[in-house]
Amino acid sequence: MSMKELDDQSVMDKLSDIPSDLSTAIRSAWRGRERGLAVFAGVFLASLVITTVFAYGVGLSQSALQRGLTDEVYDAKVDFNSESDWTTRTNDSAEWSAVCDELLDREEIIDCGLVFGRQGIRLSGFFDEAFAIPQPLNAVDADGPTGNWDGVSWDYPEALENGPSINGDRILRIVDSAHFDGELADRYSDRILYGSWPESVQPGINPVILPSKIASQAEVMVNDTITYLNLTYVTDSQPSGSELTDCEGEVVTRVIDSGGYQFCSVTMTLRNLTIVGVYEEWPFTNPTLLFNPVIVGDMALSESDKTALMANDHGYLGVAIDRSLLPTSSTDDAADWLEDTKKELEGEGYGPDEEIEIRYNDLIAGSLVFFRIFLGLVQVFDYILMIPIVILSFAVLIYGLVLSLEQRKREISIHRVIGGTERGLRGMVLREMTAISIAGWLLGYIVALLSVPLILDAVGFMSFEKGDIDLNPTLGVGYTLAVFLLTVGIAYLVARARTKDFLEMEIDEGVRKVTSAKKPRTWLHVLAFLIGVFASVESYIETSGGWGPIGEDGIITGFFVDSLVALLGPFALWIGGALVLGRIGGAAPRIVLKIVGWSKFVADIRRGLRSSGSNESVDRLAVILLLTLSIVTLAAVQGYTGTLVDERTASAQVGADIQVQFEGPVSEDVARQRVESAIANLGVDAIDDIDSMTSVGSTFVAAKEGGGLVPALVLFDGHEDTLIWDEQAAPWDSYGGNTVTIGDSARDFFEIESGSVEIFLPTFTPVLTGSGFEISTTYTSANLLYIGMHEWVPGMTGAESTQAVLMGESTYRTLAGNATVDGHTSPRWFFEVCDQSNDDCKDALERLSAELVNIQGVSVASDWNSAHSEVERNGGLIFGTQGLLSLQFVVASMASVASAFVFLSLVLTQRKKELAILQAIGASPSQIIKLVLFEILAIVGMSMGLGILLGLGIAQSFNGFFDIFGFIFQIFLGSQATVDRTLVWPWMELAIVNAVVLVSVVAALLMVTRRALNSDLAVVLKGE
Amino acid sequence: MLLEVSSLKKGFGSGSSRLEVLKGVDLSMKKGELVALMGPSGCGKSTLLNIIGGLLKGDSGSIKINSDPPMKYGTKSPNQVIEVRRKGVGWIFQDFHLLDHITSLENVILSLELAGMSSEVAEQRAISAMERVDLSERMRFMPNELSGGQQQRVAVARAIAGSRPLLLADEPTGNLDVKAGESVIELFKQLCSDPDDPISVLMVTHDPLLASKADRMLLMRDGVTASSDIRSAWGEDAGVET
Repeated sequence: MSMKELDDQSVMDKLSDIPSDLSTAIRSAWRGRERGLAVFAGVFLASLVITTVFAYGVGLSQSALQRGLTDEVYDAKVDFNSESDWTTRTNDSAEWSAVCDELLDREEIIDCGLVFGRQGIRLSGFFDEAFAIPQPLNAVDADGPTGNWDGVSWDYPEALENGPSINGDRILRIVDSAHFDGELADRYSDRILYGSWPESVQPGINPVILPSKIASQAEVMVNDTITYLNLTYVTDSQPSGSELTDCEGEVVTRVIDSGGYQFCSVTMTLRNLTIVGVYEEWPFTNPTLLFNPVIVGDMALSESDKTALMANDHGYLGVAIDRSLLPTSSTDDAADWLEDTKKELEGEGYGPDEEIEIRYNDLIAGSLVFFRIFLGLVQVFDYILMIPIVILSFAVLIYGLVLSLEQRKREISIHRVIGGTERGLRGMVLREMTAISIAGWLLGYIVALLSVPLILDAVGFMSFEKGDIDLNPTLGVGYTLAVFLLTVGIAYLVARARTKDFLEMEIDEGVRKVTSAKKPRTWLHVLAFLIGVFASVESYIETSGGWGPIGEDGIITGFFVDSLVALLGPFALWIGGALVLGRIGGAAPRIVLKIVGWSKFVADIRRGLRSSGSNESVDRLAVILLLTLSIVTLAAVQGYTGTLVDERTASAQVGADIQVQFEGPVSEDVARQRVESAIANLGVDAIDDIDSMTSVGSTFVAAKEGGGLVPALVLFDGHEDTLIWDEQAAPWDSYGGNTVTIGDSARDFFEIESGSVEIFLPTFTPVLTGSGFEISTTYTSANLLYIGMHEWVPGMTGAESTQAVLMGESTYRTLAGNATVDGHTSPRWFFEVCDQSNDDCKDALERLSAELVNIQGVSVASDWNSAHSEVERNGGLIFGTQGLLSLQFVVASMASVASAFVFLSLVLTQRKKELAILQAIGASPSQIIKLVLFEILAIVGMSMGLGILLGLGIAQSFNGFFDIFGFIFQIFLGSQATVDRTLVWPWMELAIVNAVVLVSVVAALLMVTRRALNSDLAVVLKGE
Repeated sequence: MLLEVSSLKKGFGSGSSRLEVLKGVDLSMKKGELVALMGPSGCGKSTLLNIIGGLLKGDSGSIKINSDPPMKYGTKSPNQVIEVRRKGVGWIFQDFHLLDHITSLENVILSLELAGMSSEVAEQRAISAMERVDLSERMRFMPNELSGGQQQRVAVARAIAGSRPLLLADEPTGNLDVKAGESVIELFKQLCSDPDDPISVLMVTHDPLLASKADRMLLMRDGVTASSDIRSAWGEDAGVET
């Protein structure tokens, strides 16, 4: 059947031809697999990268959901619909418990129990003004035969610091026996440190489970008893200003988010409680149920107590849903599912007559609000990060397609000569391309889905550690279709356009293999390159804090234009740079020849080289190498920098192996004694003693007598044995003499750039005068050598460091005297206890910090390893961004090797005839190999060098962008110390990748050249 | 004799699909002789030329070129007969096969440099060769700036520049118009009759008119050189224009 006839077929005929067309296309694609390799590589890369980015987003949601969900036992708080409409509610707790049974009939609800605690919430969200008015039960007093209950503080100001201003006292939660088995029991049990969560009702035992802090303060243990525990509940409330009448208890005024409120607080006493468990306090997350209650079994309540609490709206149902049913494809899907569940549950009536209406306060959806904002930021950042590699994959695809088509020029021309129509031929080419593309898409898709869990397990650049969360990111039909369209679809469209152009050329032109190439838009490439270079310079100036006469704001000071340059600059540099420098790479043989042309080694091939390096294919090879190697460089530089920033952030935050905050200033001996006590309690081999300890002293100094006071920090002798310093932080080894560094924010006080500075330490003394006491200020001063600015001090917050003057012990002794220094006390001490290169040490540090919290007088303890893990996963570069950079590094490295191989093969196959001509006119095989090696190695070598340079430029240019997002994440996640991204240049890794590329290129060269040399010269020259 | 081909055999494929193309060709050429090789398609003309030109190896038989030093080959692979291509035979193709990115003169110089000649000597020789083919005024032109006939002359200059005694021309006028084709044949005749440095030309052609201008004509049939005279080869009825 001729091509013309094919075109005239009816639609039905065409449809019936699809299977055979497909089969022919697959066979044809397989036969032409060599020429299709570049197309396959391009689609594979695009599919791999795009699928990874989408699946990574899903994994991120899963990870965030799972992490977020583990922070709260209940998934929903079910309240009575109305507290005033008595016709539709009951105070009968038994009847309410029965509602649980009805809820459990639903597939989504897997556990439910009656809870007495925070009053009913009948609002739409956290930000509703009245969200803060419903009050919890508060534990206010207790006593027992053992321990020291007088030492317990029932205040809980941390609740106000970490959530909305609702209630600043320790709360109490009373749970029914439905909590003693099933999902709720499992979730509570997970937090138990000592003892166990009750498994059933034990006659005569009223169980109580204490937060570790309360147990520590009360000095009680599991199985100790509590004679009585007083709690308060709220019966009435009114805004301050109007009088609260008929209050049977005490009127308490609280400042809550919506203003001052008066509450009528009535006391209830629970007696004869037995401590069955102590739990590790939860982090402060969703504030709906407030934080870390004392938990009591409801068997301690009498029926009248229950009714009283119910009547005052303190009863609710705590619900656990089947979390495996939550859609994990995105937080939006999860939120939609939760919203639907809420609507369905609230739409039904409960109880025998369906008279009970409920208010379903979804706790998960509340947490999702935070995650959705946060994940949105992360995903925007990561999508931008992956743009280069997506563009690269399309570049490989397009160039591969062009080369592949060029190889078919003669074949297609012959088809046309024998009557093939443009449409028919296009169909033939497109079917083959589609078959190749689908294979590339499928493989990329599968590999991506398999690699995403690994990416999410990244704890640093090219460093992976299995997380504690199982992730199984899969893509829905929508995303899968999107990847398919973005890869196979784009490949099809590009192939269609290119094939059309190609088929429009004259038949004769095709047969003679002469093409009139379109002139590239050089001006556009150069313009993009220049903009990119400018952005890179601007970024360098800004990160260096200025350059010459230009200040730290850089050349452009306008926010909008500056942001635009910062955002677009890296891409302009990358694409423009690759296209402009690609030409230099393509011309490398001629450039190198100019340098080494005098050598006898190249005398015989000199003229042969002059004829090379000037064709489009070679330029494309150079461009692809530039694109890939610049991405490798970018990923390596930013990845290693990110890893180091994470380490530095952890060091800056914690400062040492362990940082302990005491409840008040303590001396070195007291601090040592308490930590040794924790070590003894812990009893692990990895930590047997304190190796060294120190604290950072703090005082105030002035630049002149009577001048404003500036905080000063003091490093004591031997601090470097304990504190984890970094060269970026400060010249830590130089504080022994009379030297000083000053933080950025404090420099203005001293107006100094270099040289010596006089610092004054004020001493305030009360003096009795005729009119009473007055404060007399005397100053001691020291002339110190200013040795520069410090960026941070280990263990100090960012503000503490940058606002302070930092001096050594000897200076402080000069200023304050030996007595002050020798009697130094501090609420914050740092300890070196084990070798962190040892895994046992890392685990032991985490356990020690948990144990320390239970020690009397210890407020907070943090260890470097936990902080580092937290920063790695949640810090400067967030949730697997290091993994994405690692992926980018690996994919771009593989792409550079593969594309060097594939493109080289195509380029040399294209030049087979030229090589045959050279042989026909007398070139020996060794001369051919020499010529090809010289030419290609010149191109590859030059492209590598330029690629690395370009990559370094892009890394610098991207740094502003990384810096901004890294800073946002650090701030967003409450990191106290933010560390500047000073770029790290991992030369060794770059050298390894480039060496591998070079070896691959040489291997490909030798293989392809050998094949060319072994081909039938007569046949090649005949062009058959 | 400049060229002596003895019992040269060459077949392609294996087993039942094997095709014996050359079945024992015997051929000889004198110095300064222009010989046209003719025959029907697929008879083995180009195969014979490729083996003589060192682009293909024969299965058996021998080829001898009585140059200085003499060269003997026939069953050696192309990689073993580089010297034959450098100093024994010069190739002229139907498609000219010039390198596009260097000038005409440089195309000629390149072949000499590949043979190990210094650049200076190669350039002198190349200029001289260009003058011999009457292209001294266009030697700095790029190939695509020349007509087909001129490109073929450059190819001739490239072939003769290395003092190769034998030129092998595979359909040298196939891509040229009649006038240009005739001028190329005239050039061959001039080169063959050059009293100082006569060369020999073995030319494959399908054009009897062109063949008639050769000193001698060889016809290939059934894998051997059947005749050296077109009438006896093609029969008395052969419609040869005279």
